[in-house]
Amino acid sequence: MTHRFFKDKGTNMNGIWKIILLGAVLAILILFALGLNNDPRNIPSPLVNRPATNFTAPALDGGPPVSLEFYRGKWVLVNFWGSWCISCISEHPYLLELANKAKMRKDFVIIGVDFRDTPEAAKAFLARHGNPGYKQAMDPEQKIAIDWGVYGAPESYLVDPMGTIRMKHTGPLFPGWFEMRALPLMEGGER
Amino acid sequence: MKFLLGVVLTFLLIAPLCVQAESRDEDPAEAMVRHIAKDLRCAVCQNQSVYESNSELAKDMLRIVRDKVMAGEKEAVIRDYFFQRYGDYIYLEPTTSGMNWILWGGPFLGLGIGGLALWAAMQSWRKRTLEASAKTQETTTVTDDTMKKRIQQEMDQVRM
Repeated sequence: MTHRFFKDKGTNMNGIWKIILLGAVLAILILFALGLNNDPRNIPSPLVNRPATNFTAPALDGGPPVSLEFYRGKWVLVNFWGSWCISCISEHPYLLELANKAKMRKDFVIIGVDFRDTPEAAKAFLARHGNPGYKQAMDPEQKIAIDWGVYGAPESYLVDPMGTIRMKHTGPLFPGWFEMRALPLMEGGER
Repeated sequence: MKFLLGVVLTFLLIAPLCVQAESRDEDPAEAMVRHIAKDLRCAVCQNQSVYESNSELAKDMLRIVRDKVMAGEKEAVIRDYFFQRYGDYIYLEPTTSGMNWILWGGPFLGLGIGGLALWAAMQSWRKRTLEASAKTQETTTVTDDTMKKRIQQEMDQVRM
């Protein structure tokens, strides 16, 4: 019986209902498309384009404490990782490669932040998978990590020479990341 | 023996009440920690708050909340600390600012539109029912007359 309501109402009412129905279906489809394209891992960080919080933390190698401010004037890749993190293993070969690249450049350095970890486990990880040689800050209670809005590992931030976070990368850095993502920002200059 | 049993049962009934009463005298700072942490999303869990979750991230976040409460920071400041770092996502309940009003207002708007549509539909149904019943009444009277005539005819025949 319900269809009579639509049918008998004349062409005008019929048109309105058709438009409403079409609009509803379109809205659902659009929301669906947006949802599908959303990478649930890629939660936009509000920290991008804001000053990076400085940290000073004990170094893994027992040397002087690692401080972000010390590298002001250079582009810094801050890489959050842990020996407990599986994806960090897959990321590691690229970090080794990137560390070599950083040694060649005067304007780019890497700092690792090893969080929720013990020095022994971290050292074992580096011994097994290769030590890229850059400074590693220890963050056993993940205070720095939370201060930097980190969800998991690996996550990386690119800080510009002025100390502003310019990019966040969630998940392992992929081969070619530096040329594809970092260089355009670095050559675009400081803001 | 019965008396003893009664005492034991009474005790068993009352005991849980005492336990509950104990949790009511919670340290106000800890109550504040719970209040704040219950609203924060454990970012690595499925729809769990920082207070409820057992994940390492949530535990460390809870510790930070506790440290900040102990340091005497205000609730709004602590909430903002996490908001500045994790964005909107950190709140389990979306805030009522910006585009989020669609989330909050949408259902009521939909309910309103649905109510209006239902009202319009009911009006037209009522009209139709009234028209239909008027028509039925006409038909009934007609039938009644014909039927009476027919019955009369039959009766006449029988009498003859």
